Amino acid sequence: MFGRVLVANRGEIAVRIIRALREIKIRSIAVFSDADRGALHVRLADEAEHIGPAPSPDSYLRLDRILEAAKKHGAEAIHPGYGFLSENAGFAAACAEAGIVFIGPSAESIRRLGSKTAARTLAKQAGAPVVPGSEEAATNIERARALAREIGYPVLLKAAAGGGGKGMRRVNAENELESAIRDASSEAERAFQNGEVYIEKVIEKPRHIEIQIAGDHYGNLVHLGERECSLQRRHQKIIEECPSPWVARHPEMREAMGEAALKIARAAGYDNLGTVEFLADNRGNFYFLEVNTRLQVEHPVTELVTGHDLVHLQLRIAAGEALPFTQKEISWRGWAMECRVCAEDPENQFFPSPGKIAQLREPSGPGVRLDSGVYPGWTVPLEYDPLLAKLVTRGPDRNTAIQRLQRALSEYAVAGIQTNIAFLREILDDSEFLAGNLSTEFVADFLARRKPRTAPPPELDSAVALAALAHYQTARQRGTVAAEVEGSRWLNEGRGQLLR
Amino acid sequence: MKWQVAVDDRTIEIDSGQLASVTEVEPGVYAVLLDGASFEIRLTETSQGLSAEAGGRRFTVEVRDPRDTSRGFRGSVGSGRQNVAAPIPGKVVRVLVKVGDVVDAGQGLVVVEAMKMQNEMKAARPGRVIEIRAHAGDTVAAGDTLAVLE
Repeated sequence: MFGRVLVANRGEIAVRIIRALREIKIRSIAVFSDADRGALHVRLADEAEHIGPAPSPDSYLRLDRILEAAKKHGAEAIHPGYGFLSENAGFAAACAEAGIVFIGPSAESIRRLGSKTAARTLAKQAGAPVVPGSEEAATNIERARALAREIGYPVLLKAAAGGGGKGMRRVNAENELESAIRDASSEAERAFQNGEVYIEKVIEKPRHIEIQIAGDHYGNLVHLGERECSLQRRHQKIIEECPSPWVARHPEMREAMGEAALKIARAAGYDNLGTVEFLADNRGNFYFLEVNTRLQVEHPVTELVTGHDLVHLQLRIAAGEALPFTQKEISWRGWAMECRVCAEDPENQFFPSPGKIAQLREPSGPGVRLDSGVYPGWTVPLEYDPLLAKLVTRGPDRNTAIQRLQRALSEYAVAGIQTNIAFLREILDDSEFLAGNLSTEFVADFLARRKPRTAPPPELDSAVALAALAHYQTARQRGTVAAEVEGSRWLNEGRGQLLR
Repeated sequence: MKWQVAVDDRTIEIDSGQLASVTEVEPGVYAVLLDGASFEIRLTETSQGLSAEAGGRRFTVEVRDPRDTSRGFRGSVGSGRQNVAAPIPGKVVRVLVKVGDVVDAGQGLVVVEAMKMQNEMKAARPGRVIEIRAHAGDTVAAGDTLAVLE
């Protein structure tokens, strides 16, 4: 096993990895930007190295600086976490060249699975189900018609060079097809200088279900079951769970999806940890989406249900150990659910809310795990992801896990910045959510049916007023009445409301 | 003594005798017992005044000192000029109105991008645009005025 490992990341995931390293007595080396000198991961690490200014292209994405830091501190391996350089084949290759172990799959595997179209072709060849669609551009309208008929309406037109929804069109019937191809193609041409569009089947209200896989250097590959991550806002997950409520109702699906994921991993010669993502419809079909060649944000739900520490597993595999268990030895017990606590304002299109955390009370108690990257007094930088912490609960069944998550969120208090805590509590209270009726459109549907918030009970108003008065009188005695410093709070509140 | 405390847009009357039910348990954290019910209130001084967090809700609070007759609740959200400001640093993507436009409450005025997300700065109440300080492409700091309405 390694003696020294550099963590090329920040925030909660850097803290998570540093904890895993300390548990097995490996020295941890943190890296940090100007904005993160006082960050929790730097405070917790055994060693730390400054790598540049706050914007990530100048620091956390600078592979040269990170490799320099690794050499300076004598790191034998680098853990990239998620995001930043974690899925960068060039970084994996540069590590190998420098004689440092990249804790993840080989550069070659990352390349094979990194491009969506290459991964789709590989999945198809390996015999895994992919979303039915055309492999070539829909330029000939006759062929496009025949293909769309074969796939079945509604279909989706997608730009070949695409992303961000540009050049994307939903086509409900054949008489819309020709003009939709024309529109999508010209939009794609303008956006990407490439007017090619593909036809794909529309999966109505799909669930997002992913399979955790792990492989060693000796060809052993296993899956550790699924996670359902259908709850997303702005294409980012906010609540994840294991098992998936859908798989719990159809237990044979875990094996079917697990086998499909392993076929793809085998075809790619995959090792270390990875996640194969699928879309599932409500009729028992599932389709390959993409592979994430790294540790996933939501990995704790799998850890709580299987009992295996996935970061320890990554370290063992990278150090050349064989998988410590076989597929048969993996079992799933109970239910785990995670929610992402973010510095953002759900009442204002999830607008980020960086700033200083004036006060913080973190939840604990039975069945609660908190992977946090912040502390009271920490200023959440505006340069990075708004994720503050992942709150995960476990119980014998889904209902207990939800009750514990609700209870833990009620203990969670963050003052000074906006968070999505109240919003998460509303979702956990929703009858559709409780029934396990999830889809990637859940949050949009929920926002549409959501009831306006009721006025606070009068006794809460009175309690707030009393606390404010006590605070005011204490401040007066100390001679620090902020109210007399500047302006009226009414005026300031008026200004504040303009920002909402 | 009778005190008045504004909690959001509500005015709460308090007798200073009731203060016996409040205790500061941590700096800025107050435990309140009202008729046997227990509350925990977190107070933070912000640039926009005193902010309270309790029961998963957020409140804006202002205490009116009855001994200070020179001051009362001044201003209000209901009238006068409104300055529309950038909540965090970002870049102006688009200006949606021009000087002289009459706007409704909630109407978007300026689109600002920050942390790769676009956000519309809206009018809090109806008014007429009397000044626009933001231009597309401008970099703005938190608190910079983007537009002024009356």
